[in-house]
Amino acid sequence: MTISWEWIADNLDEIGAATLEHLQLTLIAVGVGFAISLLLGLAAYRWRGLYGPIAGVAGLLYTIPSLALFAVLVPFTGLTVLTAEIGLVTYTLLILVRGVVSGLDGVPRDAVEAATGMGYTARQRLARVELPLAVPVIVTAIRLATVTTVGLVMVTALIGEGGLGQLMLRGFNRSFPTMIYVGVVMSVVLAVGLDLFLVGCQRFLTPWARARAT
Amino acid sequence: MPDGATGRAATVEFEHVTKHYDRRELKRGAPGAVNDLSFAVPAGKICVLVGPSGCGKTTSLKMVNRLIEPTSGRILLDGIDAAGRDPTELRRGIGYVIQQTGLFPHQAIEENVATVPRLLGWPAARRRERAEELLALVGLDPATYAGRFPAQLSGGERQRVGVARALAADPPIMLMDEPFGAVDPIVRERLQDEFLRLQETIAKTILFVTHDIDEAIKMGDLVVVLADGGVLAQFGPPAEILTSPASDFVARFVGADRGLKRLSLSRVADLDLLAPVTARPGEQATEEQRRALAASFPWLLLVDDLDRPVAWVARQHVRPGAPLAEAPSTPAEPLLDRRATLKDALSILLGADVHAGIVVDRSRRVLGLATVAGIAALLRESAPRDGSPGALAAAEDPTAEGPP
Repeated sequence: MTISWEWIADNLDEIGAATLEHLQLTLIAVGVGFAISLLLGLAAYRWRGLYGPIAGVAGLLYTIPSLALFAVLVPFTGLTVLTAEIGLVTYTLLILVRGVVSGLDGVPRDAVEAATGMGYTARQRLARVELPLAVPVIVTAIRLATVTTVGLVMVTALIGEGGLGQLMLRGFNRSFPTMIYVGVVMSVVLAVGLDLFLVGCQRFLTPWARARAT
Repeated sequence: MPDGATGRAATVEFEHVTKHYDRRELKRGAPGAVNDLSFAVPAGKICVLVGPSGCGKTTSLKMVNRLIEPTSGRILLDGIDAAGRDPTELRRGIGYVIQQTGLFPHQAIEENVATVPRLLGWPAARRRERAEELLALVGLDPATYAGRFPAQLSGGERQRVGVARALAADPPIMLMDEPFGAVDPIVRERLQDEFLRLQETIAKTILFVTHDIDEAIKMGDLVVVLADGGVLAQFGPPAEILTSPASDFVARFVGADRGLKRLSLSRVADLDLLAPVTARPGEQATEEQRRALAASFPWLLLVDDLDRPVAWVARQHVRPGAPLAEAPSTPAEPLLDRRATLKDALSILLGADVHAGIVVDRSRRVLGLATVAGIAALLRESAPRDGSPGALAAAEDPTAEGPP
């Protein structure tokens, strides 16, 4: 069980490509998932009755084992990136919809009332008051979804995608532990890196959240 | 004006305004309904809506800027029915201050203040200028505060920002819902005083909601007392509410000490001042002075060449022929400003050695004496003349039958 540094040195290109692919799969999944969740979350916030059904369906989808989901999708969409992304996006929905709704619910009522009373239209109020104030909670949800997705991308190796997952899968097949280690380490690096990046975004977007009496 | 700034005050009239919440809303604990509410506020006056919780005062206020729509009746602003106007445009022309301030936590103070100007599309430079002007107006140094976030301010400072924000586009009407409710009593008193001073310059038409009768009396030119169920119990100037409560409910609501409360409504300047017996310190006492002191108030007031008070001399020390400068004297206290309330004046008088306040003008010249008897006389005079000799006493007794 030794690490072949030689292999690593010879295959930096392949490791880099796998990492990049992993990153792409993650970003697309979280990006698309967030876009869908934002719409669903806004709808649920506006029409409270929708929240139960939306959260229920998202929760149900979340309980489907990932392998089973991909197995069901393959006959329809084949062994493609699309199949992988459909699965990955599906798993982000629950976390992200909840994040959007609870973020909006957490906006101080007095700020919303003052905004309406001063003559914001509903759309202006959403864009300039409610969403900005929901950012900390929403970003927290995005961080969670991102880290989860980095892990799930590994599974998509089984349908021919998977980025670093491919590296690991091949390591298993060849009984070559170095590839497995590299896959694990790089995926952790990716998860931690993305998380730190998002924390940075949040701090940049919400200077007010750290402002306290001086 | 194209930017929506009007700069004048408007009249506000409630005409038979009724609000019914349906059962579902009542179950959610929505505020009480309003029933057939009518009153009119002239331009530039502060009208305070006061009553127990659930009496519909906040509901009434929110019907003015249409955060709540009346079930029936009309609210006229400058004679125009609010229901016929676009709600967004209407709200931008009405200042709105709420108890929890409703400041936007994610915006710097300057942006908060410039909220309505931004909605009205003012250019950035003008918004900044206006925000700084308003911060200075409410006593916050723009250089210190403009860039801070609400969380970095004290409760009192946040309330001031709330007032500044409501004034930003110079609206003719302001709605204030318990604007000083969330701060401690000392800060509240200071904010009230500052706001009354501010109102002297801005002269807006203000609807002000409070549950505190003392605040209502202090702040209001007019007071609307609401009873449970949003029924108008009494509408009139504070003095009238205190001297002739329209019902047992109003009498109970203003409290048994309303005689004392009236003291805060009048000022020393309203009193008929007693003319003191005066002399210069260099003079000798005369028999005439001694007689005058026996007839009225038993202290002679020494004044200097500019009529400024020097000292009191008690009657027994006024010996005809003796130089007044050598007589034992008492310091010339207490001094009263003409603008002091009778409540403050009485409190000072009761604690003083000589039971008369020397009322002075700005250059400390003596205008006359304010006495406890004088204050009592003013209260008797302003009580309703309804034929009954003890109108004030009768009003103090909730069991007494009122005049027909």
